Amino acid sequence: MIKFSRICLANGLKVLVHEDRSTPLVAMNILYDVGSRDEDPSITGMAHLFEHLMFGGTLSIPEFDRHLQIAGGENNAFTNSDITDYYITLPANNIETGFWLESDRMNSIDFSQKNLDIQKNVVIEEFNQRYLNQPYGDAMLLLKPLAYTVHPYRWPTIGMDTGHINNTTLQNIKDFFFSHYAPDNAILTLTGNITPDNAFRLAEKWFGPIEKRIIAKRDIPSEPLQTEERILTVERDVPASSLYKAWHIGPRLNSDFFTLDLITDLLAGGESGRLYTKLVREKKLFTEINAYITSDIDPGLVILQGKIINGVDINKANDAVNRIIMAIKEKIIPSAEMEKVKNKYESANIYGNTNILNKALNLAYYELLGNPEMINSEVELYRNSDQSMVIEAARKYLNDNNCSTLFYKSTRDSR
Amino acid sequence: MKKYSITQPPVVPVDIGTIPEAKNIRLNNNIPVFLIEAGTEDIARIEFTFNAGSIMENLPLLASTTNLMLTEGTRNHTAGKLNKELDFYGSFYHLFAEKDRAGIVIYCLNKHLKRILGLASEILFHPVFPQAEFKTIMKKRLSWYLINKEKVHNIAMDQFFESIFGNNHPYGKKVTSEDFNNLDLSTLSSFHSRFYTPENLTIIVAGKINKITTDLLDLYFGQSYNPSAGHPESPKLPERQKERKVHIAKPGTVQSAIALGCGTINKRHPDYPQLKILNVLLGGYFGSRLMKNIREEKGYTYGINSSVNSLDLSGYQIISAEVSKKYTQKAIEEIYKEIDLLQRVPAELNELEIIRNYMLGEMVRMFDGPFAIAESFRSAWEFGLDNSYYYRLAEKIKTIEPDEITATAKTYYKINDLYEIIAG
Repeated sequence: MIKFSRICLANGLKVLVHEDRSTPLVAMNILYDVGSRDEDPSITGMAHLFEHLMFGGTLSIPEFDRHLQIAGGENNAFTNSDITDYYITLPANNIETGFWLESDRMNSIDFSQKNLDIQKNVVIEEFNQRYLNQPYGDAMLLLKPLAYTVHPYRWPTIGMDTGHINNTTLQNIKDFFFSHYAPDNAILTLTGNITPDNAFRLAEKWFGPIEKRIIAKRDIPSEPLQTEERILTVERDVPASSLYKAWHIGPRLNSDFFTLDLITDLLAGGESGRLYTKLVREKKLFTEINAYITSDIDPGLVILQGKIINGVDINKANDAVNRIIMAIKEKIIPSAEMEKVKNKYESANIYGNTNILNKALNLAYYELLGNPEMINSEVELYRNSDQSMVIEAARKYLNDNNCSTLFYKSTRDSR
Repeated sequence: MKKYSITQPPVVPVDIGTIPEAKNIRLNNNIPVFLIEAGTEDIARIEFTFNAGSIMENLPLLASTTNLMLTEGTRNHTAGKLNKELDFYGSFYHLFAEKDRAGIVIYCLNKHLKRILGLASEILFHPVFPQAEFKTIMKKRLSWYLINKEKVHNIAMDQFFESIFGNNHPYGKKVTSEDFNNLDLSTLSSFHSRFYTPENLTIIVAGKINKITTDLLDLYFGQSYNPSAGHPESPKLPERQKERKVHIAKPGTVQSAIALGCGTINKRHPDYPQLKILNVLLGGYFGSRLMKNIREEKGYTYGINSSVNSLDLSGYQIISAEVSKKYTQKAIEEIYKEIDLLQRVPAELNELEIIRNYMLGEMVRMFDGPFAIAESFRSAWEFGLDNSYYYRLAEKIKTIEPDEITATAKTYYKINDLYEIIAG
């Protein structure tokens, strides 16, 4: 049970605190309600590039990292399609330095052409390192736009291509900051060795003076219903062929989200998942296979990916996967198996709670979803999913006409 | 735009406080157990660690394959049943086979401790090495190997280890695709019976510890046994290669991987703390000189990192990065420039102050929560050290002088000793 207190400052900043006396540290998390789904399709990658620029200093504090390190702190950040998140851990008695630094860069940052140019290079190297210079690195760059035709989830957070990153101007950056970075578009959470009173006092002192801003109105095109199967075949110089599949599901807050997440655990949770047991161990068609849910706020995907054993026909591998999906739709899951995936979810949740940073991020995320109490109630929601709900959800979503399949063929495979 | 005007809050010097001590007990049969009481949740992280790393193998892949086969079937459970049960009770595990040690780490809920320890003793002492599972594992491993061979980072790292430790030593030997055909079940089984023995085992438990924890460990691991005959001979010392610069070309890549470094001292050496500090300054944190120069000022790379690592018979220090091909040589020049600077010009006190506080903050994080404490404990214990090592490190972080850093750079970063590996 994670106890927390919550206030909302006059400028709209939401502040949540969970006190944990067992640690000498405090974790501070700021979530901005902006991700790559908020980008203009002609300059994608902005949200992530911007995250890099947030470490470039401000007019009043030119070196962000230096001050944090002097206080014994550490920090990092990530961007995904829905959010941009910044996090810090500090020894408890230096936490005010975190407030000073984070409020300062929420207030304003130093928009310099030089910093922008360097970070463009850094991000382009990140793009090269993650997507171009890795075997299978481009698979998601191919699968997402196959599944999404209009919704911004069709491009990756880092940007559609390096041209977009290169073409970003200082004016784009300024506009982006003032329309997304604001107290009324952010959630601040503190977890660890800090009392709620102290946290609220510091939040008021440091973030209170920042004025509300005009947040860009979110106007995201919704993805039209997919009505027929989509297939893309590519050939690449990789050691083994690989299969990728994606099915559309509902938004994060749909009641069947939990059931679908459990379905991916039935399929691929641990070594005892059905895909591994049947297709790796028994039939020996794949060397590895995995399935997961994307957890996006707008309607997301169930994604399945597997590396095929050399010599096995990719269509045969795909048929075998489809038979396993079919079994979930047709046959009642044995109770013990159902219990297994629920237990596993619950224990993962408990292990996750040993980490203050995890708790800070989760609290912020559930607040964004509209109900921070979910940090405690979600286990129950998973527990409430039953066998008939599994069949129902599988029948509703895991259909061919709702599926995009990427055949990623190895040119080295003899077949 | 209004200028933000509230003054900077004061900063308190970072204090690592008291490091939690591990309680050392022995099971009825003398197996050493370390108990670390920490955390708020009713869970345990249990590590079973053996002297069974690749240092003990006479064939490449032997130590790691033996380790991976532990959960592929036991006396009473097929692989499928075993994993189903481990999952059913909400436990997570990871098998590890490193250069020196191998074993398994299991995370479990204390309410299922009995069941999990029962399974753990089967996994460790009664695996059956079934043929079908062995074939599957080898196919999987070959597939990982072939994929990893495509990555410039892995190519550079493999060559780096071969260069500094030699291709005749398990620390340095590169795996080839033929090695996947040279293992059989009897080899695995005899490696297992030789090295996965009670006298070769240490158990480290962290989390909520109860009387029942030790009772159950005694029940499943404390039975008497016949000590196996003789101890494994000590392996010979690694031998570095003559060739200092190796470039492995990989057509079609957009980046090259750089690995620059050499063999070095390990944690047991009195100079290790200052070498650690020097390393952080050079490339061990986000504000390091290498990151500032090569990423933040030049934009040649997404990240450049340097680290100092301890092994039982040696150690190694390495600077690594993946850089745009057109900047590879420039990046290497800048690395040498930074090393040269460290040897000639004493660090400014304000830079040193950042390092001191950052590193002390890191030390606080290293002992935050049961999982982190267990890992920190383990990485000192492996070298026969205890918390006094960490107190010594903290003391050195607080008191090191710029001259000492310069001297350390001269001793341990001799340009002529460095290996320069490029892949891509």
